[in-house]
Formats: sequence, C-alpha cells, structure tokens
Amino acid sequence: MTLRSGLLAATAVAASLALPGCGGGGDKSAASGRTVEVTLTDAGCKPERLRLAAGPVTFAVENDGAEAVSEFEVLDGDRILGEVENVAPGLSGRFSLTLKPGRFTMYCPGGDTERGALVVTGAAAGQTAGAKAAAARYGRYVEAQTALLVSRTRTFVRALAAGDIAASKRAYAAARIPYEAIEPVAESFGGLDPAIDAREGDVPASRWTGFHPIEQALWVRGTAGSARLRTKLMHDVVELQRRVRTIDLEPAQIANGSVELLGEVSKSKITGEEERYSHLDLVDVEANVDGARAAFDAVSAMVASADPGLATRIEARFAGVDRALRPYRRGDSFVSYPTLTEQDTRALSRSIDALAEPLSRVGAIVAGR
Amino acid sequence: MSSRLTRGKLLAAGALGAGAALGGVGIERLATGDDGGDGRRIVPFHGEHQAGIATPAQDRLHFAAFDMVAEGRSELRDVLRDWTRAAERMCAGEAVGRDDTPLAPPVDTGEAAGLGAARLTVTFGLGPSLFDCFGLAADRPRALVELPAFAGDELDPGRSGGDLAVQACADDPQVAFHAVRNLARIGRGAVVMRWSQLGFGRTSSTSRTQATPRNLMGFKDGTNNIKAEDADALARNVWVGPRAAPAWLRGGTYMVTRRIRMLIEVWDRASLDDQERTIGRRKESGAPFGRSGEFDRVDLASTPADAHIRLAAPAENRGTRILRRGYSFTDGMDAELGQLDAGLFFVSFQNDPAAFVTLQRRLAGSDALDEYIKHTGSALFACPPGVRPGGYVGETLLG
Repeated sequence: MTLRSGLLAATAVAASLALPGCGGGGDKSAASGRTVEVTLTDAGCKPERLRLAAGPVTFAVENDGAEAVSEFEVLDGDRILGEVENVAPGLSGRFSLTLKPGRFTMYCPGGDTERGALVVTGAAAGQTAGAKAAAARYGRYVEAQTALLVSRTRTFVRALAAGDIAASKRAYAAARIPYEAIEPVAESFGGLDPAIDAREGDVPASRWTGFHPIEQALWVRGTAGSARLRTKLMHDVVELQRRVRTIDLEPAQIANGSVELLGEVSKSKITGEEERYSHLDLVDVEANVDGARAAFDAVSAMVASADPGLATRIEARFAGVDRALRPYRRGDSFVSYPTLTEQDTRALSRSIDALAEPLSRVGAIVAGR
Repeated sequence: MSSRLTRGKLLAAGALGAGAALGGVGIERLATGDDGGDGRRIVPFHGEHQAGIATPAQDRLHFAAFDMVAEGRSELRDVLRDWTRAAERMCAGEAVGRDDTPLAPPVDTGEAAGLGAARLTVTFGLGPSLFDCFGLAADRPRALVELPAFAGDELDPGRSGGDLAVQACADDPQVAFHAVRNLARIGRGAVVMRWSQLGFGRTSSTSRTQATPRNLMGFKDGTNNIKAEDADALARNVWVGPRAAPAWLRGGTYMVTRRIRMLIEVWDRASLDDQERTIGRRKESGAPFGRSGEFDRVDLASTPADAHIRLAAPAENRGTRILRRGYSFTDGMDAELGQLDAGLFFVSFQNDPAAFVTLQRRLAGSDALDEYIKHTGSALFACPPGVRPGGYVGETLLG
C-alpha cells in the first residue's frame, strides 16, 4: 500500500487546490470540457443531484464554511473516479474526468446528506476492437489473480487458525504474490488496499489490519496473530474479488497501472520496507513485475503498431529485469532481503528504472486507440 | 555576405570576427537582444571546441560520470546523439522538449523553467574504459589510460573512473542540476550513473574579466591559470593540435578530475604563518612571497621550497601548464569522523594527460599542502571537439 495515483490519474486528469481569489492564471487543463461548480456545506454537497452529458467535465469544488465536510468524490459503485481532499473552509479544489454514460454517486463524507446522484446521458464512445481486446485480456488476468488470492488467503488463514507457524509462513508468501500482481487495481477501491496491505505506521495502530500485522506476529513474535485479524483479511480479499468483477478499464489505465507497479518496487520493495519482518521483498518485486508484464502484454499489440521501437525496447528491458533477478532465485522463491548488498539492490533498482522509463510512455500512446 | 547588414547580422559578424581572432575559442557571447544582466545569458553550444572548457568559469557545477550498460556501438551513438540534442536545447535556455499530451510524463522535468540559460554549458568526455568495448580499441588515444597511482592517494572506486562524463556548469545550481538529471533520464537503460559531484562555487578564474575566487582554505586560487583570452596558451597547452593523433580528438582535450578532500578541521588549527608558507601566497592579498600584488610574478627564491605554488609553478616543471576549472564542494558531514566532508573538486584540461601527471608527481609526497588534503576520487576523460549544428559530440569517433 503506497502510491494510489495510478489508475485514478488516467481519469482524473487534473486535481489541484487553490485559494479563492487567486484565480487569473487558473487551471486551463480542462478547457476542452465544462465546469460544474460544487459547494461543500455541513448539510452536504450542492447540487445534490446532477444530470450531465457524457464527455470531459471539471468539478470546481468550494468549501462554503463547512466544518464537517472537506472532501468530494465521484464514485462508480465503490470505485473512485475522481476526488478532491482537504478542502478546508475557504479553500477550493478541482479535478477533471471524462464521464461515460451511466449512474454515478457524488460522495460527500461527513455531510448530513452524504450521497448524491449523478446521471450521465448520451452515447458511450465506442471502444475500438483493440481497446476491447486489451480490457478483456487484462480483466481475465485480474480475475484469475484475485481468485488465486482468495484461495491462497484461505489456506493461509486456516494454517493460522491451526496455529501451525511454519505452514502459516509458507502460506503467507504464496498469498502475497497474487495481491502484489494486481495492487494498483486494489488501490482504486479506496479503503480496501490500506485494509489489506497497510504497513505499520501507514494507518493509526487501532486500524492496522491485513497481511502485515500478521506478518509481524509470525516473524517477530512467533505467534499466529488474533482471530479478528485473519477474519477481517479473509473478508477483505473476498470483497476485493467481488469488486474487481465490476471494473472496466481503458488501455491507458492498464498501461499506467503497469508503471504504478514498478513505482511500488522502487518505493518500498527494493528498499526492504514492504516485508520488513519476513524479508520476502524480492517475492513481491517479482509479483509486481509479473503484474506489470501482464498489463503491458494486454496493450502490447497496440504499442507495437503505433511505435514498434518502443515495444521492442520495453521487451528488452523486461528481459533485463528478469536477468537482474535471476541470481537471487532459490527454487520457487528468493533470497532474504538482508542478504542483498548495496551493489545488489542498486543493480536491481536500475533495471527497474530502465524498464519503467519507456513503459511510462505507453499510456499516452494507447489512449484513445 | 549580403551587402545590407542588419544590426543583428552586424553583431553576429563582429562576434565571428572576434572568434576567429581568438582561434575559435569558445568565449561567451551574449544572445542578440539580451541585456546579459540576468539568468538568460547564453553560451553557444556549437563551435570548434566544446563549451565549458575555455568558457569563463560559471559559479556552479554538477558533474556526473556514467557507465554504459548497453553493449552495442549504435546504442552508444544514440546516447551521445540524444544527449547532444538535449544539451543544445538546455544550453539555449529551452526545455528538453514540448509536451503534446497530458497522459504522458512531461518530456522535460520542468525545474529549470523560467531560470533561463544561466550560461549553462554541458561538456562531454569519454573515459578509458569505454574503449575496451564497442570495437573502439583501435581508436583509443595512446594517452588515454588510467592515471598512475600517486603518493598519498586514497581513492574510492565509487568516486573514480567512468565510461562517460557530463560536466554541467551554470550560474544557477538548479540549471546545472536540471541538465544532469535530464541527461540521466534520457540515457536510462543504456547508461547508469557511476558517481556524481556537486560544486557550489568556482575556485578558478578562467578569464581576465573574472576576479580570482578563494578556495575553502581561504586562499585565492588559480591566479596564474590559463585564461580564455590567451589563445596561444590554449593552443599550446589545452587543445589537441591539428596534426596530433588520433585525428578524431583534434580540437578536443583531456579532462582530469580529482576529488580532493580538505581536512578542514586540521587546516583551521594551523597558524596564519603556516597556512601562508604551505600555499606560498599571502592569505589576504594573494600576493606571492616577497611581492605585494596578487598578479606579481612569483619569486621562487623567497618562496618556501615545499610551498604549493612553487612546486606547481611552470618554471619548476619544464614549463608545464594546465587549464584549471575546479569547484569547491561539500557532501555534508563525514559520518565516520563527524567532520565536514568538503574540499576541492579539481578539474583540469590539457592536451596531454602527461602534463597533469608531471605536476601531480611533483606535488604528491613533497607538497606542504599534503598534510591538509586527501585525494579521494580520480578520473580521466577525452573530450571530443565541438560540434556543428546537426552533428553530435563523439561524431568524429563514431561516425
């Protein structure tokens, strides 16, 4: 659990906070669309109901002295399409997104009325065959990984319940892999990722749940952790599986998700922070890279036709990461993180950077194709 | 040439004339219409020699050495070509590229926007190790071999050597940083950074228009340096000559870098008399011993035998001269000792590395200054000649 921008970024093109009256320069990025003004009040968000035609739109959100409300989100079911946070009284913020036809929720947490309705009318922009194929292919991957996550988490939870520490440790490693492979998707469901994957200190101690408090119990204290933790983890991964069935991704979102996965590697895996008790960080690294690979594979045909040189380069860089990881494989797992020298982590980190740089150009290439 | 000259053309013609008179020395010229009083000042990237060598020393440095990880000669060529294109734009005060979609990461990282060119120069060098690969063995200049070990060296391999060098100098530190950052990004996957050094203040004057700066020991440094205005001295000592071998390096030069850590705490405990006898100049005026003005001729007879400027003087070294272009640095605190990690990032240009070796052999082990310094990093690079618009640095070597 760390970066949460990836999938959101593709839809919410720009989100910024500004002081009222500082306009003039302004945000021109949404010039192509319309602007809808939203006011935060203690009663809720105004307007409460909204009917818009499909297409790009900017939400300009202003806090009119509301103490209880400082956030506004547009949700598709449980999934955040766009949001502004920390809009304190007197402040304003904005974000832009491209709306598809359908019924959406305007969420105003803390207001007397928390939920409003957004109806978007008009014809859906027809997806190209390539975009449909990409979405279908990646959708199958995500569903397969979440199914694996649920079954492996069940094995893990049973081993914990049986008090078998050695079996629990093995099952922990196995269950982490499918989660890490689809992490950006999980992150697009607001609170689910922190509930499943927060590390100590990411959230208040009283709300620390998911894999990592159990990891701490297993490796630091040699115990199986509380029954409440394992029940909650099982519940959350099942919930994740239910929700991923509803998602509908654009190629650019898929591509940006792959860059996001490599961002995860650079930020917390290659530093040994993610699995700080079990030291299974390289297992996570491989799972993140495999997830990025699956996301790239889903759109690679589109990239190959638009920019064959870029596609070739990315393939070569994926191979470079595989080569960089190879010396640390031990059977179907990896060496423990603390055995890596500074030179080892540097070489790994550089192979990831070398891949992520060209991969970061894919989103723009496949967008709208 | 057109018979009707506009003012702009006149200026350009005048500048060309000056350039020719100076043998094409890359003297800074101001962009037409620029008042020169702000950060927009531009040093031309193109020319007979690379900029950043005879260019009047800018205030700030960001230096980076890279190793090639890509194995093909064409990839090396691509890196140098892409770097040249980006450097051309940055040295003109422009962004690396324009963005045409909000969905892609910006082409330029953006932190230099609005800062102008700030006299940015980007100078590229090729290290000895580069010639072990890429089928370049036959093109290796005979003089381009690792520098020999000198008495008292405490070199850290992590701060030494490298296949490629990028020296970015500017009057604004963020402009210099921006240049190295963007070149590193452009090269990502083909090159990896081996080491890097920030320099916060120039320690040499390389033009008669510049006052002599002080180094971190508090002394004026580089008083008798080769100056950009002295075309003869540059031709004799700095530029690889028109008949020298290999042909691809003609108009280029060799760059030596030495990270020289000053033992600041020890130096600060030395008496003024000791300090002056160590350097061979008066601290306040910069005057040599037995003289009264900074630029007065050094009187060897009244200078202590082991004083730094005496041992380094051309008269003591068969006339050997080099162009020094170093910067003061600090990397914060030495965690092991709890002392300031600071000193001189020495950079010199010469048409034969033997010139540096001669001087350093004379200094190492004999120089009174040795008591207060440690050489902790070392590198040697061949800097190809300058490029014309459309060309790239290294073209004479790689074709």
